[in-house]
Parts: sequence; C-alpha cells; structure tokens
Amino acid sequence: MKNERKTTFLLITIPILALFVCFNTIPLIRGVIYSFTNFKGFGTYDWVGFRNYADLFSDARVGKSYLFTFKLAVVTTVVVNVISLILALALNSKIRAKSFFRGAYFLPNILGALVVGYIFNYFFTYILPAMGAMVGSDSMSKSILSSPDSAWIGIMIVCAWQAVAMNTIIYISGLQTVPEDVYEAGGLDGATGWKQFRYLTFPLIIPFFSINMVLSVKNFLMVFDQIMALTKGGPAQSTESISYLIYNNGMSGGQFGFQSANAVIFFIVIVTVSVAQMKFTGKKEEQL
Amino acid sequence: MKEDMIKRKTNWTAMIVLILGLSAIAFPLYMTIIIAFKQPAEMTNSVGGILSLPKTWSLDNFREAMRVTDFWNSLKNSLVITLLTVALSIAIHSIMGYSLGRNKGHSKFYSFVYLFIVSGMFVPFAILMMPLAKQTAELGLANWFGVIVLYVVFYMPMNIMLYAGYLVNIPIALEEAAKVDGASTWRTYWKIIFPIMRPMHATVAVLTALAVWNDVMTPLVIMAGSDQNTLPLAQLNFQTQFGTNYNLAFASYLLSLIPILIFYIVCQKQILNGVVNGAVK
Amino acid sequence: MKGKAIGHLGISLCCVAAAAGIQGCGASNGSDKTEIEIVQYKPEAAAYFKTLEEQFNATHDDIQLKISSPNDAMTILKTRFIREDYPDIIGIGGDINYSYFVDAEILADVSDYAGLQQIKQAYRDIDEALELVPTEGTYAVPYVANAAGVLYNRDMFAQHGWEIPQTWTEFTALCEEIQSEGILPFYFGFKDTWTCLAPWNAMAVSLAPADVTKQVNRSETTFAEEYREVSEKYLDMLQYAVDDPFAYGYNDACTAFARGEAAMYPIGSYAIPQILSVNPDLNIDSFVMPANDDAQANTLNSGIDLQFCVMADCKNKEAAYEVLDFLLAEENLQQYIGEQISIPCKEGDFTLSPMLDGMNQHIAEGRMTDYQDHYYPSEMAVDAQIQTFLLQKDVDAFLQKFDTDWLRYNRDIIRMVQEYEKTHGN
Repeated sequence: MKNERKTTFLLITIPILALFVCFNTIPLIRGVIYSFTNFKGFGTYDWVGFRNYADLFSDARVGKSYLFTFKLAVVTTVVVNVISLILALALNSKIRAKSFFRGAYFLPNILGALVVGYIFNYFFTYILPAMGAMVGSDSMSKSILSSPDSAWIGIMIVCAWQAVAMNTIIYISGLQTVPEDVYEAGGLDGATGWKQFRYLTFPLIIPFFSINMVLSVKNFLMVFDQIMALTKGGPAQSTESISYLIYNNGMSGGQFGFQSANAVIFFIVIVTVSVAQMKFTGKKEEQL
Repeated sequence: MKEDMIKRKTNWTAMIVLILGLSAIAFPLYMTIIIAFKQPAEMTNSVGGILSLPKTWSLDNFREAMRVTDFWNSLKNSLVITLLTVALSIAIHSIMGYSLGRNKGHSKFYSFVYLFIVSGMFVPFAILMMPLAKQTAELGLANWFGVIVLYVVFYMPMNIMLYAGYLVNIPIALEEAAKVDGASTWRTYWKIIFPIMRPMHATVAVLTALAVWNDVMTPLVIMAGSDQNTLPLAQLNFQTQFGTNYNLAFASYLLSLIPILIFYIVCQKQILNGVVNGAVK
Repeated sequence: MKGKAIGHLGISLCCVAAAAGIQGCGASNGSDKTEIEIVQYKPEAAAYFKTLEEQFNATHDDIQLKISSPNDAMTILKTRFIREDYPDIIGIGGDINYSYFVDAEILADVSDYAGLQQIKQAYRDIDEALELVPTEGTYAVPYVANAAGVLYNRDMFAQHGWEIPQTWTEFTALCEEIQSEGILPFYFGFKDTWTCLAPWNAMAVSLAPADVTKQVNRSETTFAEEYREVSEKYLDMLQYAVDDPFAYGYNDACTAFARGEAAMYPIGSYAIPQILSVNPDLNIDSFVMPANDDAQANTLNSGIDLQFCVMADCKNKEAAYEVLDFLLAEENLQQYIGEQISIPCKEGDFTLSPMLDGMNQHIAEGRMTDYQDHYYPSEMAVDAQIQTFLLQKDVDAFLQKFDTDWLRYNRDIIRMVQEYEKTHGN
C-alpha cells in the first residue's frame, strides 16, 4: 500500500520533471554557455572566458540598474500587498454587486501595455501637472516622468496599478480556505476588525501571503513591460531595470553574450532572494 | 441553513473602500473607450481635448481594427492556444503540485524537485529566448503547439507553488479515509483531491489564461515566419517606430479584452465556491 | 490501472507532438515554382509591398514571391537566423545591424547584380563605409533614403515673412525672432530617447568628420575633440524649445507641431506621416540643419532607410535578382517615395514630395552625409547618453563618458580593425 503511493508519485513526478528540464533547464544551460562568448545573437563568435563576468562587476550602468530595480521592487511589493490585502478582504466581505466589483478590479490586469503606457503617460504628462498647478504646488506641476529623481515613482504607480489584481485574486482564493466557523468562534470571543484579521484570518492565509510576497518580488525584480511602456529607461537612464538591459542590449543590441552573463548573475541573485524569503515565511508558518 | 446563520449586514466600510478605489479604474477605462471611438484628427495635447467625448460614436475604428488584425483568425489562434494551455496546466500542474506538495515535507528528493522547479520561475526569459528558438525549431515545434508546450513549462513553477500552497490547508485525513476504502492513490487524487482544489483551479486558470492571452514575446520568437498570428501579435501592426495609430489600437485592445473578461467572470464564481468551507470539517 | 492512465496521457501527448511536428514540416508546396521570400523591416510600408507582391505574382509564372512586413522584424530576423531559417532577401536599414550581418557572413555578394550600376554612387559608398572592415564584395542594394533636418510650418513662415536660414547665425537669429513674436520655435519629444539623436545627427554631419567613428577606432582623434561643437550648439537649441522637453514623447511633439504649437520640429522626414495623421492640412516643408556658419559646409543628413540584401543561403540568385529588378522598377519606386516621403537611391527622374522642397538642392547636388548614429552600437545607448547630457548640461562629463564608453563597447571591433590594418599594411 505504501509502495503503491510511492510509485504513483514517482510516475507522476519523473515525466513532468523531464518536460521541465527539456524546455527550461537545457535552454538555460545553453544560455549560460553563451555567457562565455562574445556572441551577438547571430553569426560567428569567439570564446572570451570570464571577461563578460569581469566586465559586469565594473559596469556602472549594470550597477545602477540593480539599485533601481531593487528599490522599485521593494517599494512596489509593500504597496501592492497592502492594497491587495485590503481589497481582497473588502471583496470577500458581505457587499453588494460583488461580481461587478470583482470584474472591475480585475480590469487593470488585462489592458495591454500599449494602452496602459499611453494613458499613464498622458496622465503624468498633462493631467497630473494640470492638477498640481490648480492646487498651486510647484513640484507637482511638472511631469514626474521627466525628472530622473521622480520617474521611478511613476513606474511604481503603474506597476502597482496593474499588479494589484493578480495579488488580490490570490488573496481571495486564500480567504476561501478560511472556514466560516473560525469567524463564528472568533465573533463569540469578541474578536472584530483588526484583531480578527491579525489573530484569526491572517495566520490562516500565511501560505498565500508568502506566495504573494515571492511572486511580487520576483515580478517587480523582473519588471520590463512597464518600463518599455512608460520611460524606455529614461530620463537620463534612471529607470533602466535589469530585465530592460538584458533584453534591450542582448536582443536588440549586439551584446547577447554579455547580457547572458548578466542574466545568469541576475538569476542567481533572484533565486537567493526568493529562497531567503521562503525560508523566512516558512519559519513564520511553523510558528503559528 | 448555514446561509441563514452567517447572514450579516452589508459591510458598508468595505463598500466605501471599493467605490473609492473604483475611480482608479474607471478613469483609465473611460480614456480607453473614448480614444477607441475618436479619429486621429481629434487627438490633442490639451487636458480638455483628451477628456472630451468623441464627435461621433461610430464603430468604424472597430471595423477597421478587425480588418487590420484579421480579427477572427487571430482570435481563433489566441483562443486555441489559451484554452489548451489552461487545460493542460490544470491537469499537469495540479497533479505535480499534489505530488510535490504532499512529499516535500518528508522527502529530500521531492523537496529538491520542488525548489528546482519553482526556481525556474526566476530565469529571465531573455536568456532562454535564443536557445528556445533554436531548440523548438530542431524539434519541429516552431508552431502554435510548441508555444503551448513552452507555456506549460513557463507557468509550471508559479502554478505548482499555488497548488502546493493550497494543499497545506487540505487535511491529509481525507485521503487516508479513501485509502481505507481501497482506492489507489491515482484514483483518490482524481476523485477527492482534484475536485476539492476547484477554487485553486479557477485561480490558476485565470492567472495562466491572462498571462498567455497578453503574451507577445513567446509567439513572436517561436512562431516567427509561420504566418500565424495571435491577437497581441496582430496588434503590433498598430505601432511602428515612427507612427502609432492609437485610435485603432485602442479599439482593438477593447475587442480583445472582452473574451478574457468573460473567462474571468466565469472563473471567479468558481474561486468563490470554496468547497473547503464546511465540507472539510 | 493508474499506470495505464499515465501511459495514456504520455502516449496522447507524444501523438499530438508528432502530429504537430509533421504539420510543421509538410508545408512546402509541390509545384516547381521558385519561391522567393522577402522579410522587410518597415511595417508602415506593408500595404505597398502587399500590392507589389500581388502584381509580381500575377505577371510571373516561374517565381512565387512572398513579402512579409512584420513588426519588430529585427527580433524576428535574429531568431530566424539562429535557427538557420533564412529568407531569400531581407529589407533592412543601412545601420549597424547591416554592419553586423556583413561581418557575420550571412549576406551574399551581389556585385554581379546588373541593377547595382543604376544606384547612386553616394549610397553605394555609404554601404561600403558601413562595413566594419573593408570587404571585396557588395552586400546590399540601396532602395530609398530618408533625410533629417528641420521640419517647419510653411504657412506660418510665409505669414511672418521668415526665411530658411543658411547658417548657424541666421538660424539662431530666426529663433530669436520667432520667440520675440510669442511663438515657440521648437518642439522636442525627448521623453522618447531616440528622438534626441535627430538634431544630433543633423548637426554632427556638418560639424564632425563623416568617418569620425573610424578615426576614433584608429585612435587618430577623440570624440571630446570632434563632438564638442555639436554638444554646445545642441545646448543652445534648448533655450528655444518647449519647457521641460523631457516630459513629452515623440507622439506629443508630432501632435503639438501638427496643431501649430511650434514653428519648427527638428526631426527626420519619417515623422511627416504621423504629423499629417493629426492634421492632414498642415503645410510642411523641411530644410537642412544649418549647423555650420559656412553655408557651403552644411551637408544634408541622409542615410539609407531601406535596402535589400540577398542572403548567402538563397538557392536561386537569378530569381532573387529578377525580384530586385521588379522592386527597383521606376514606377514602383516612384510610388514608394510618394507614399513614404523618401528619397530614391536609384538614378533617374523621380518626383520628390513637396515636403522635401527645402532640401532639394542638396539632394540634387548629392551633398549628403550618412547618419552618425548608424555607426554607434545600439547597446551603448548614445541616445540615452545625449538625453542625460541635455538634462545635466555638462559638456565635459558627457564627452569624456562618450570616449570611455566607446572604447568599452567597441573593443572587439577596434581589435578587428587593428588586426585588419596590420595584415593589410595600412
């Protein structure tokens, strides 16, 4: 009986793992091999050893892109998770027109990058400064996307605007695993509002919280679409994310080999961050 | 009966929060709609000009957008790719999530496989792109089917993570009861666990469908030169470096938004029908 | 039981995979026609090429022509190259990608193509210059060129009696005059970084040597020396431009110029269709950027916008040449330059768009120089560096970074050039 369970699990795991290795691990290894060449993406290439990696650590542009990307990822993750938790709780509570609200809050996630880029560009370039001028605020009457100091805020807003939908869905599905009787029992004990959330709801949805944290950090570290749609790395190269550099210089430019090296390092960094995150939230899960 | 017991008043705090938040969505949506109806000559740089309603509410932009994108054909391709990917994802990822989720706690091997696959999520697509273009061509998969296979692999890490996370709250006792009745593990999974994970299936379906529906890069790279377009690929026609027809583009985006919105509304009802509530205890 | 089920799943997956594979391979058609496939990178000309394709196929029984004009053609081409799935002919611009493709030896030598003799020498020279190291052959047939200078609102100029400036002094005087009448001289769309290159190129052709990048590669000069005047004059232009030009994109600038919010827009002829889409009645003309104070030293910034390269892999070069003959036929080329407002690379009697009137003399006399940025590697992001410079206004820092970055991003090319010169005893 015990063996039957074991073999079944193995028979499930091995073929799917093979599929994964075939279309993820093997191409990754091929990519890693390119990182030791000066391959442009086509034609012939030479082996350059560790030159690409050595360059990576002396390239100010790459260093700047790491700083920008991490700043963006941390801030956006916090903002998105706070908003989407509130939204998920609200959408999950007893409200009217539930389907309408759930549909509406999902919309930002489906609008294509071109539409989002155009509208928010318009918003930041014309509407927000007009509003700022009305209020009489000097700092607000300039487009926030035109200054290297504030452009990241614009990107953060758009990233959050789009990402909230997905995080909310995951929180809502997490809230479904919280049995109603927990609340009933809690209600009898007089737990309401914040207390109910803090001591009853939240501990039960911690697995979803950790999934969302990992997914958010990962998604925002790999931010690309929003950069392309809003600033294309500008102004003054202040919003070049790591993925933007890898894609733009590796694919469109002739730096395929060098950017492969960048991608390898980036992959290692991002895995380290995420494993640390999972370890951390895993401990929290056990504590509760 | 249960319904009666938990019948509470409408939560007005939640309603107010939701209604206030709605403005952040209504405004961009309003702009999308009016721009989709306007003519290029109506586009201005003044705030009043852009917020004004179009001069005429004509469907010409939509008709033209459908013509330029070869709408029905592209829609068919997008639908086939999205639906097959979702179906395969739910079947393959859920069982893999089950297999890994149930074993990673006590087996080094499964815990390694879990971390190995989940870490695949962090591989930047740019590094995979060239090797995949080559590899799919070598395997004769430089077509829509290859795109589906790649999607099933790409979204495997996230979906497995979701399924495994969901399983934490599903008591193992349920399976043990079935096992006592003599059912095999395979059978137990499909008869008991798979249906219980319905809210998660719906979540996975929504997230996967959405990612696939809007994706440009994978079909662009894999199906390049195959004369088959998905909707996002066809929509690239609206923008060139030196000129973009936003009016047609917006009309086209509005059109392609409808199928996925319907899909979401259908799915979100399933997310709601949390079977776990009550049924477990 | 469970084993079976898994087996079924596996088998069915394999079947689908196999079926898809077969479908993918069985696409070749059985007829004995030669198939010629062109991928060209200008999607805005898709309609033109569609008609040409139909006309060609209607008049030729032995060749089946297929032209695709995909968006993001460069990505598509590069991924197709990596899987060794080459089209027969590619239509690309005369920029650094062309240099790379020549270097990668994936293009065929077309020096035996008869039609090449009718291509203007100036453009054939540009292609030669684009080769990283000189080669024996010719690898492209230039089709059309574009030009970048200053677009101006002809009606507004006529109304105020302003005249086309010939020198930098006249140019700045004109800007002062326009400004004094309460009109904005320039609009810029610097939020789209690539637009920063348009005035840069237009000025650099008259102020720096045409082969400045090659001179630097041979360490004969530095950018700090050659580009100083361009940089300083660029900063001068900013004072006549819209406030905070970094807030507006290319599209905003086109719309603003179309609506008469500015008298001039320093950008290439390629922007005209976008401007006209907003205001079809606008009367646009263009003039050569008068960057130099010596009117005779001012040259028109013009480069190859579209050229056709036969791939080395092409099975039937004769058929490819026949297609090229057809594309270069006078009436077809005339139609293209009319629709896209471009300049033909072929000798002959073509009617240019009236929107290029102000540049006519330079075009007729062949006083044209290629875009400098066609020699910049795109990953160096010179456009973004110029944007940074315009924001920070520090000429020295900008030029110093330009020089150091150049050496870093081009070292493989520089090494190649040095090796070439060693072996060829230059």
